[in-house]
Amino acid sequence: MSTPGSHLAGGAHLPDRDVPPHATPAPDAAPDAGETVPSPFASLGAGLDRALSRGLRRVTASAVAPYQSAIVRIGFGLTWMLFLLREFPHRAELYGPNGPWGFDLAKRLLADNHAFTVLMWSDGRIWFELVYALAVVSAATLMLGWRTRTSALLFMVGVLSLQNRSIFVGDGGDNVIHLMAIYLAFTRCGQVWSLDRRFAARRAAARMEEPSDGTPRDADPVGIALWVVLGAALFAATAAGKLTTGWGIIFWLCWVGQAVWWAVRRYAPGEPRTLMTIMGDIVHNGAMLVIVAEVCLIYSTAGWYKIQGSRWEDGTALYYPLHLDDFTPWPALSHALAGNDVMVMLITYGTVIVQVAFPFTLFNRRVKNVLLVGMMIEHASIAIVLGLPFFSLAMIAADAVFLPTGFLRWAGQRIGRALRIAPVRSAVVVPGQRSPQAVETAGAGAVTEPSAGSAPPSTVT
Amino acid sequence: MDSLEEPPSRVAALSLPSRIAVAVTLGAVAVAAAYHLAMVFLHVAPSNTLSKEHATAVNDYIYPEFEQNWKLFAPDPLQQNIHVQARAEVKSASGGTRTTGWVDLTGMDIAAMRHDPIPSHSQQNELRRAWSFYTDTHDNQEQPTAGDRSDLSRTYLLRIIERRFGPRLNGGQVVRVQARAATSPVPQPRWVSGGSVTSTSYRQLPWWIVDTPSTGQENAS
Repeated sequence: MSTPGSHLAGGAHLPDRDVPPHATPAPDAAPDAGETVPSPFASLGAGLDRALSRGLRRVTASAVAPYQSAIVRIGFGLTWMLFLLREFPHRAELYGPNGPWGFDLAKRLLADNHAFTVLMWSDGRIWFELVYALAVVSAATLMLGWRTRTSALLFMVGVLSLQNRSIFVGDGGDNVIHLMAIYLAFTRCGQVWSLDRRFAARRAAARMEEPSDGTPRDADPVGIALWVVLGAALFAATAAGKLTTGWGIIFWLCWVGQAVWWAVRRYAPGEPRTLMTIMGDIVHNGAMLVIVAEVCLIYSTAGWYKIQGSRWEDGTALYYPLHLDDFTPWPALSHALAGNDVMVMLITYGTVIVQVAFPFTLFNRRVKNVLLVGMMIEHASIAIVLGLPFFSLAMIAADAVFLPTGFLRWAGQRIGRALRIAPVRSAVVVPGQRSPQAVETAGAGAVTEPSAGSAPPSTVT
Repeated sequence: MDSLEEPPSRVAALSLPSRIAVAVTLGAVAVAAAYHLAMVFLHVAPSNTLSKEHATAVNDYIYPEFEQNWKLFAPDPLQQNIHVQARAEVKSASGGTRTTGWVDLTGMDIAAMRHDPIPSHSQQNELRRAWSFYTDTHDNQEQPTAGDRSDLSRTYLLRIIERRFGPRLNGGQVVRVQARAATSPVPQPRWVSGGSVTSTSYRQLPWWIVDTPSTGQENAS
């Protein structure tokens, strides 16, 4: 989201307090005939330097885009949870050991492709039910932002386990969830709109009320218990030889990392804690860049392949899916839409234009937002007309990474009020966030928001 | 150059070893993100000079966890309805065998999905993707073309059919099943000139002996 490179494009409009004014020479001097026209490249080197240093500062200063990462987290947690609940009556047929894609078939395929799934650790019915239940629970806790980092990791384990167990029942929606589940595990997606933030605020308030008497606080017994249980599970899996070396290293590193992070917070609040925070922020920022780029790749390749198709060229492509039996839960609606030749052509061309153009509109906030609204409406329509609700929900969750911070905060406040959720007091700051101001700067300055000025007036939550 | 030499504020407060750790992390994350995105790009883009040259490296990195395909209704949307149908050979208690009529399994899925705002993957994807897995790994003479994957696809399709018929049908034991695909082109839009043929063509597979008599416990429904 905030790479050095991305600021070459959007950075020009940002207020830059760190750079002294003399570093920005006025490019458009008076057009005197006798004067030498200044080279347009004169300030290029300095500009590059500035952009680079600003980018470096940004990626090490904070975890960018807290609201965008939170909405992606909530979106995918919700989508996967609703999907699992919807398929609950069909779970054994789709993923169970005695389904048509039986344990034996899955074993033969997985021996060949080496995909990760804990469902192959046992062919017992109880193990399957346990994994399915854990997948539902981890999706719910991820959505709520409870122990977000651990939830994100377990969410990834649940998604990969179920999907890799039965790769022939998924569609594009499962594919997006699969990728985002991996990427989300690397992000600090619980900075806002999470139970973690709420509890941290409560702890901070308690700390302020009673001054420290030397007893170490934040012992976090629930966290320790969770860590011990997961450590035992990891030990059992390793001892039984169920994990490949690569996955074993990943999970053990995460487990040790949690312990180190806990110890650092408790016993070394100075430099070690700052260092770990910065390193976590850098990883988060890298993952956010990957998420944004992945969404762009999805749209650009989807458009890229469409422009090669003759039906997309002659403006009739939309007509055909509206006559495919697998994608017409409402035949009367589909056929009415397919019967309107002008509508079919406009939507067909519009889809291709939007998909091809979308990545480039990120350079212009206003055009990007218009297209974003258009794409979300299109996905909502696909959900109903083509009967692909989970695919559409997953795509909308992915699109949400591009929503403006101002809009997200405004909408979050409205929804919070409607649901009667007490706002987190702004006086307290979550560990990992430096100050409300820092969050504001980081969020508003993300590449999707080149001009922070036109954001709707928002009161700090 | 001066702004470059001024380190970021939060990093500025750190000792040299910590700053080195930050720099190493930054470098590692930048390289990892760039490498990941390059590989994903080469995987999803149409086959090109680079992706052909580095096919092994790209595939080793992408499979199995980063596999993706965004040819959504592209290059051209499917323009035909494929219905997988099946019939069974049933052995009665007296020892005689009878063949049932063709049952439209896809049609039953479609009927179940009609007016359902949230269709299940078991209705929308299971049979449809099992059939495409089969056709991807078999030629038109029903000969396997992908080794073990062909056998997997055949067994998978067989088990889906078995499961839908159940072990007993019409008062007898199901001993063999046969599948066929009925392909009907979607009629061209009425505003497109040129007549469209709407006849259904069939691809019939050989009879298969049921795989595991104990798997299916449900009736054909």
